[in-house]
Amino acid sequence: MVDEQATQVAAIRIDGARKVYSAIGGQHREAVRDVTFTVKAGGVHGLLGPNGAGKTTTLKMLLGLVKPSGGTFELLGEPAGPVARARVGFLAEQPYFSPLLTAGQTLSLHGRLSGMSRADIRVRSNELLVRVGLEGKESLLLSKFSRGMLQRLGIATALVHRPELIVLDEPASGLDPVGQRDVRNLILELREGGATVLLSSHQLSEVEAVCDQVTILNRGKVAAAGRIDELLNVAGETSFRVAGSSDVLPESVAGRVSDVAFAGGSHMFSVADNDVRIVFDALDDAGWRILSMTPKRESLEDYFARLLESSTEEVAS
Amino acid sequence: MIGRVWSLAVSVFFDALRRKVVWVVILFAAVMAAAIPSLPSYGFGVVEAVYREIALALTYVATMVLTVALAANRIPAEVERRTAYGVLVRSVRRWEYLLGTWLGILVTVGAAVAAFTVVDIVVGWLTYGEIMLRLAEGTFAILLEAGVVAAFCVAVSSITGPVVVVVSSLAFLFIAHSRSQLLAPGDALWGLYPSLDTLNIINPVAHGTGVSLTYVASMIVVFAAWVAILLVFATGLFSSRDL
Repeated sequence: MVDEQATQVAAIRIDGARKVYSAIGGQHREAVRDVTFTVKAGGVHGLLGPNGAGKTTTLKMLLGLVKPSGGTFELLGEPAGPVARARVGFLAEQPYFSPLLTAGQTLSLHGRLSGMSRADIRVRSNELLVRVGLEGKESLLLSKFSRGMLQRLGIATALVHRPELIVLDEPASGLDPVGQRDVRNLILELREGGATVLLSSHQLSEVEAVCDQVTILNRGKVAAAGRIDELLNVAGETSFRVAGSSDVLPESVAGRVSDVAFAGGSHMFSVADNDVRIVFDALDDAGWRILSMTPKRESLEDYFARLLESSTEEVAS
Repeated sequence: MIGRVWSLAVSVFFDALRRKVVWVVILFAAVMAAAIPSLPSYGFGVVEAVYREIALALTYVATMVLTVALAANRIPAEVERRTAYGVLVRSVRRWEYLLGTWLGILVTVGAAVAAFTVVDIVVGWLTYGEIMLRLAEGTFAILLEAGVVAAFCVAVSSITGPVVVVVSSLAFLFIAHSRSQLLAPGDALWGLYPSLDTLNIINPVAHGTGVSLTYVASMIVVFAAWVAILLVFATGLFSSRDL
């Protein structure tokens, strides 16, 4: 019963967030207008949007870096403020640290600011430096760190106090493919450990790989929200990947498929759900191998582009 | 709360220790202090007093240069490079961040002033055979004034850039030491004028017998009042700022 109640508490609740920037001369720019969304505890939630969509401003309002013009913000069931923030870890896009401190001093500072003891910081720092691939770099000045190493250290500082909620703003920025894979695995590990992750990213493949739910912002508003499957699955169609002895699909199949592509010795195409059985049997009869058969899913890139196009048309009309 | 403020101060201190400006100013001041006895035209009997006066004046200039160099760009750079984000998204209040930054600068400047004091006393002892411990009173007053200037820099830099901070801190020092030139003790504005003259004890230290403990206590009160006002003002400005 207690566990059930605990899981019902939202890790993040943002209601009616609004931010208007005023400039000299009385000009106003509305960066965020009426953004409302909830992040359930214990999952990975993606926050997507093009540049200028209001993602970073929304995160900054949530974390107290920017004063909201309106709306309410809750973190882990408490009003977002210094007390609630003690249980939150944050990685800024391109995190910067004082170049005149060492990695160990930086982790120590962040641990102390979160109320950790020196002994605990020492143990946790060693553990995290290994985890983010910076083993043995504790005494190295940050002025000698590459951008990717700073990003890894940023992840370590975000996790140093074992936060229940981790907000990651472009965590893979500046990392090589191996680093990006490591970040992805780390996010999944955090989820398995029961933490909640809010991932703001431009890298749609990264979001697609790890997020359970996404909220898409555009022009300062929520443009779409939901489970990735719900947003991306194309109703009534199935994707096939097949391989055969010929470069051309059997005649009985060719007329029933769409979006055909040929690469790496295999054909990929879509089939209406009503024709799946017929196409399957025809391929089987012709001696083709069915490599995969899955519900057709739009790529997040395509979905995103379509969403932005439609909102641009709305504005134009 | 104290733990967070102290942690920030320690971080500022270690960061400052690796800044070249700190070592350049300390080295320059040490060389200059060592060179004071070689200056000509000392009158008979006042040579030690002149040494003390020049040593304190040199310490004052070096300390103020160091204070402004450390404080003017600290917060603007942290905000611009987003170093401050990582700190302020934790359970750190903005006033704690400002207080920790100020304290770190004060500790660094305090270490430099201690070094200046040792150099001044050692050079005086080697040259004149007199251990001038009274110089420590003067350098303590200089440290207190540096604390006020650091608080002023923190306040101004919480909403502006380093150039404005440097210019305004020089103007602040000029205004704060010009009361006696602009007003007479009986004038109505005398008590309201923002003055740091209380912290200027070069004359009694160099040429007299120093200051009493009561006077030292009054200096600490003036220092604390100035710092409190300036840091409260800084908090007001910084808290309303979007980062």
